[in-house]
Amino acid sequence: MKRFILGGALAAVLALPALAADYTIMAPAGPGGGWDQTARTMQDALQKEGISGSVQVQNVPGAGGTVGLAQFAASTAGKADQLIVGGYVMVGAILTNNSPVTLKDITPVARLTGEAVAIVVPAASPLQTIGDLVEALKADPGAVSWAGGSAGGVDHITVGLLAKAAGVDPTRINYVAFSGGGEALAAILGNQVTAGISGVGEFLPQVQAGTMRLLAVSSDARLPGVDAPTLAESGYDVVVQNWRMVAAAPGLSEADRAAVLADIEKMAQSATWKEALATKGWADTYLAGDAFAAQLDKEIAATEAVLRDIGLVK
Amino acid sequence: MGTFDLLLQGLAAALDPMLLLYALIGVTLGTAVGVLPGIGPALTVALLLPVTYGLDPAGSLIMFAGIYYGGMYGGSTTSILLNTPGESASVITALEGNRMARAGRGGPALATAAIGSFVAGLIATLGLAFLAPWVVKFALVFGPRDYFALMVLAFITVSSAFGDSTLRGLTSLFVGLALACVGIDQLTGQARLHFGVPQLLDGIEVTTLAVAMFAVGEALFVAGRGNGAPDEVIAVRGSVWMTRADWARSWRPWLRGSFIGFPIGALPAGGAEIGTFLSYAAEKRLARHPEEFGQGAIEGVAGPEAANNASAAGTLVPLLTLGLPSTATAAIMLAGFQQFGLQPGPLLFATNPQLVWSLIASLLVANAMLLVLNLPLVGLWVRLLTIPRPWLYAGILLFATLGTIGANPSPVELAMLLAFGVMGYGMRLYGYPIAPVVVGLILGPMAEQQLRRALSIAQGDVTTLVSSPVSAGLLAVAALALVVPMILRSRGRGRVLAQVASDAD
Amino acid sequence: MTGLPIEPQRRPDGAAFVIAALLAALGALLVVEGISLPDRGGYSGVGPGKVPLAVGLCLLGLAGWTVLAGLRGETEVPPRQAARPVLWVLGGLVAQLALLHTGGFTLASGALFGCVAHGFGARRLPVALGVGLVLAGAVYAVFDGLLRLTLPAGPVERLIFGG
Repeated sequence: MKRFILGGALAAVLALPALAADYTIMAPAGPGGGWDQTARTMQDALQKEGISGSVQVQNVPGAGGTVGLAQFAASTAGKADQLIVGGYVMVGAILTNNSPVTLKDITPVARLTGEAVAIVVPAASPLQTIGDLVEALKADPGAVSWAGGSAGGVDHITVGLLAKAAGVDPTRINYVAFSGGGEALAAILGNQVTAGISGVGEFLPQVQAGTMRLLAVSSDARLPGVDAPTLAESGYDVVVQNWRMVAAAPGLSEADRAAVLADIEKMAQSATWKEALATKGWADTYLAGDAFAAQLDKEIAATEAVLRDIGLVK
Repeated sequence: MGTFDLLLQGLAAALDPMLLLYALIGVTLGTAVGVLPGIGPALTVALLLPVTYGLDPAGSLIMFAGIYYGGMYGGSTTSILLNTPGESASVITALEGNRMARAGRGGPALATAAIGSFVAGLIATLGLAFLAPWVVKFALVFGPRDYFALMVLAFITVSSAFGDSTLRGLTSLFVGLALACVGIDQLTGQARLHFGVPQLLDGIEVTTLAVAMFAVGEALFVAGRGNGAPDEVIAVRGSVWMTRADWARSWRPWLRGSFIGFPIGALPAGGAEIGTFLSYAAEKRLARHPEEFGQGAIEGVAGPEAANNASAAGTLVPLLTLGLPSTATAAIMLAGFQQFGLQPGPLLFATNPQLVWSLIASLLVANAMLLVLNLPLVGLWVRLLTIPRPWLYAGILLFATLGTIGANPSPVELAMLLAFGVMGYGMRLYGYPIAPVVVGLILGPMAEQQLRRALSIAQGDVTTLVSSPVSAGLLAVAALALVVPMILRSRGRGRVLAQVASDAD
Repeated sequence: MTGLPIEPQRRPDGAAFVIAALLAALGALLVVEGISLPDRGGYSGVGPGKVPLAVGLCLLGLAGWTVLAGLRGETEVPPRQAARPVLWVLGGLVAQLALLHTGGFTLASGALFGCVAHGFGARRLPVALGVGLVLAGAVYAVFDGLLRLTLPAGPVERLIFGG
């Protein structure tokens, strides 16, 4: 019986159809994280929709994606079947790590999904609104400790932007970096810090359970089902989205680039992809081609400015 | 419906013959991959998770639980027999376990590990079932300063793994701490000691170091003894089973290990290794024959192995109640839970009790299945040692490098494996203990980051480090652990120990 | 277990000084790095350079202690080592490293297996290499094909698995 099941599994794996147009997607991170999940969801959608025969996912972890990015840029020039997943974190990591390879060295294809950042306080905190928190920050920046993800990441950048928008010197924020949003979550729940900042999805279950209070989100409009104002409507001109994208190899011909764009477009419109986004709770922020490239340039410039303000980039 | 009823219902459902078969397949696969040297539970779970995708929810859940416990247990087998831990939590198991295996007592070592894992798994899974809401409250009390105090305690107690020379033990530890400085400083984003190599920016992978120093270093050392040297490894001497004395010496360490491992595993930033360090130190202090430690003391296998498995179940506490993965294995499991429609978080126990209880029931069934599968296999595993050395060590290195290549197929990573392997070889030659290097690499960054976080939150006020009850208590225990042996020694009771230690080398 | 500790092999030993020099070099490296990193401790007052500095200073101290121990003849005397098998094992690891991305997993790991087995006393190298290639191929088939672990592919993998 056991042998039968194993044999069946073996046969099923070996019998996968071998079609043409086999993409290889690099996830510049270890298995399990957001970029890896994005790559594997793409793999699934591309295969199920018959856009590509067999899609391989390759993990190259390291340094906020810059290790994978450097390897990708160096080894794939002109190859239309090579894709890489990336995101906003990469923009900051390239700057803080002084990476010689940047997003200019690859061909951005499309933004796929994104998530706003949420600012929370522990349920027991006396601070009730984002205004209260900013007042406390103005009074004594050092006394307001922020728990969030890694230094120079999207959480840190958002705090820097908020401080600047509120007229507080961004170099004086007391940002405490934790490994990933998870450990920060524990510090907030344990009332160890004044405020916390991380992806909305990370905090939402806690907010619903009443263990922390959501003060504001960084999206450009209120999020459906989330009872919190945006930073912008609260009077601080800060809009941040932690997006994820897919890019192609450098040096593609116009025809190749158009073909990749068409494949990704087909994938992003497919039922499989939309269903996956819904089950994973990822927002569809699809933006492709030249529009995305222009948006990317703007974000890189803005990020560089704020990292300079915080003092992370010289 | 009460907690107990829900659990019974889950158990009754899990006892369906088809589900038991899935549990058996899961445990077999988990053990089979986990047992390969250099492949730890995180990689095992990641590799085997997709196998569960095609089944119905109940079946895939139970198979998944089997893979998880099988992978956890499989890792200790090669640690004990071949001195090749595939992950940091079984480094301590290898210390005494491998000594036992070399003396022909591999059977009892494996058996105490298997039964200890079962006992710890049972206690900790029941703890997860009935105490999770309280344990998580306790865990959240821990802030950066409390973690720092815990690290201090771990540093002090880890000296019990130093072997016979304080100088060589401290040197090994500080080499590990030096390696821990490599990479991006997490609190400021500042790159340290990377020498322009981008792969070093994320620091040195604990698994790579452990596999290199143990598996590669060991292979070189054994090779260096030459082919003419008599083989000092004896597969079986005496009984392959545990004797009455083994049982008498094992049951207390199993229980102590379980009670140390479970709460530490439940700490969101605790990590499974810390529990094994503390358990080893506790057993060494409490043992009737502490001089046997380092020579193959069964308590030193029973305790840490129980602690390791209890903390594996403890890890599920923050994972299920907060949605917080605190180890690499847990992060992969989180992805696994999502395929069952299980959204870990504060509301999970309230909104989805059926799934939670069938998961817990599955864990209990898988835990029992593991014992059923592995106890009869102990005799077979021990035969591993009778494989002719050329094929055995060639196989060890093949799988040890497979683990590294599979996790990160970069030449830099393989080169590090080679370099640290040579370092492990050199350290063996000159009698430097290996485990403290790995311990330093694990504890160093944790201690540094928690210290700096605590000081940052308190705006540089050093008194914050002793101003929470937990941190003050832990530091007091650490001080006692440091001072009491000194007092004992000065009163003469330590003389015998010192004598024995100087004879040992 | 009784009697005077007889230590016939304990005498001043060059190895202690080599080890001390290595430790001192490592310590100095950390001290230099610790001092040269910008002091950005922020509110904690402990910057990224402080811990490397402290560890480096401790290593320098341990180097000194090692010299003292060496002078007193307290160094461990290494057991006799045969060079040939060690070199074969090292050669196998280097061969794997060199072949991994050009020749693929099967060739590289087969070479590793063959060299290590030969070093450990398997007399005929071609047989050992053959066994290694078959085993590595099987491992590739199971882990890459069945379990979807991406392993570097080379000519052998492309020939057999077509991709």
